[in-house]
Amino acid sequence: MDTLVLEVLTPNGSIFNGAVTSVTVPGEEGEFGVLAGHVALTTLLKAGVIDIIKENGNKESIVVNWGVVQVANNTVTVLVDGAVAIRGENESDIAAALDEAKSLINSVADSHAMIASVSARIESAAYSHMH
Amino acid sequence: MANLKEIQRQIKSVSNTQKTTRAMKLVSTAKLRRAEELAKRSRLFAQKTNQVIAEIASRIQCNKVGGIQSRCFVQNDTPKTIDIIFVTADKGLCGGFNMQTIKAVRRLMTQYKDKGVNIRVRGIGKKGVEYFTFNQVELLDAVKNLSSAPDMQRSSEFMARSIKDFNDGIVDAVYLVYNGYKNVITQELHVNRLLPVTIEDFDCEKASNSVLELEAHDEEKMLDSLIAKYAEYNMYYALIDSVAAEHSARMQAMDAATNNAKQMVKSLTVKFNKARQESITTELIEIISGVESMK
Repeated sequence: MDTLVLEVLTPNGSIFNGAVTSVTVPGEEGEFGVLAGHVALTTLLKAGVIDIIKENGNKESIVVNWGVVQVANNTVTVLVDGAVAIRGENESDIAAALDEAKSLINSVADSHAMIASVSARIESAAYSHMH
Repeated sequence: MANLKEIQRQIKSVSNTQKTTRAMKLVSTAKLRRAEELAKRSRLFAQKTNQVIAEIASRIQCNKVGGIQSRCFVQNDTPKTIDIIFVTADKGLCGGFNMQTIKAVRRLMTQYKDKGVNIRVRGIGKKGVEYFTFNQVELLDAVKNLSSAPDMQRSSEFMARSIKDFNDGIVDAVYLVYNGYKNVITQELHVNRLLPVTIEDFDCEKASNSVLELEAHDEEKMLDSLIAKYAEYNMYYALIDSVAAEHSARMQAMDAATNNAKQMVKSLTVKFNKARQESITTELIEIISGVESMK
């Protein structure tokens, strides 16, 4: 399967940089997925979860609070303010990342429904990592 | 003999100072390495953000009738009110590091005062804040304990006020003054105009050729949101850069201080030896003359 390059940058440095087969981002006007060969696009992101399917089929989730995404020439650049990747070597690492991600979302989201939906997504992502 | 003791005391005191300055230098070296690393990682984000902003701005400028309307891009040659934001260190003992920034702020202030511009000064860093308070310059905002430990959230909150006032038309330009890191032995003073944003040249050819699709309905809204983040980020970067520069300046200052102390110990030791010889000679003369008088 064709791949595209994903780069997630925060003011404190890059938190993801590598080849992926698919990435789903929470756009301002709705969630959308990007596959290889996607048309050039620039848009704002709202607080939510970026779902990544890596080259080797592994999944990864990154929680963001705001951002801009630029898709061009099979490269996806995501500029975010604050981001937490749900990953870790063991369960306690993942649990720590989960807590951090939740507090990030709570600090920006303005509606309870949104916090709840994002929290549910984060938890399911964390759960799939643990098993 | 009293003189000898006195010199000995001085030597001890100077070499104690030397120990302190050497330790401070080592600490700064370690901290510098960390700050430098952070600044380096952060620079990538700046590059990409500038790239995206330039691209969207060119697109609006070239494709829209009347060009770009956003207040963030319209150049204003006769501002009525400006914000000057400065960043200094919280601590001293770093040579001319803080003073350089303060002087630059003063220069900028006189420059605009002559034109009759209303100036609002907002400061970060204990040293600068103390200086301006002492000299009875009114500060709109004074933040301490932020420049020694940069924090994205706090710096964003600080910057948000200027951005809001700029968008509301209260302020016409926002300047940022800080002393940045160039390399281990040099600091570079930055006087940047954050708002309105300067874009050197709009690349119309590239803009019309690109197949860039903007999802948002309102391009300018997107741009404004991006500009706000850009300004906030620049503020944060200024803090990171300033910390790195502060440590490099302190490293240098402490290195010089250690060397000076070394010199001083050397000259004091010579003085001590001379005084010791002198006292021995005097004693000998006393004994000999005593023996002579007994004959």
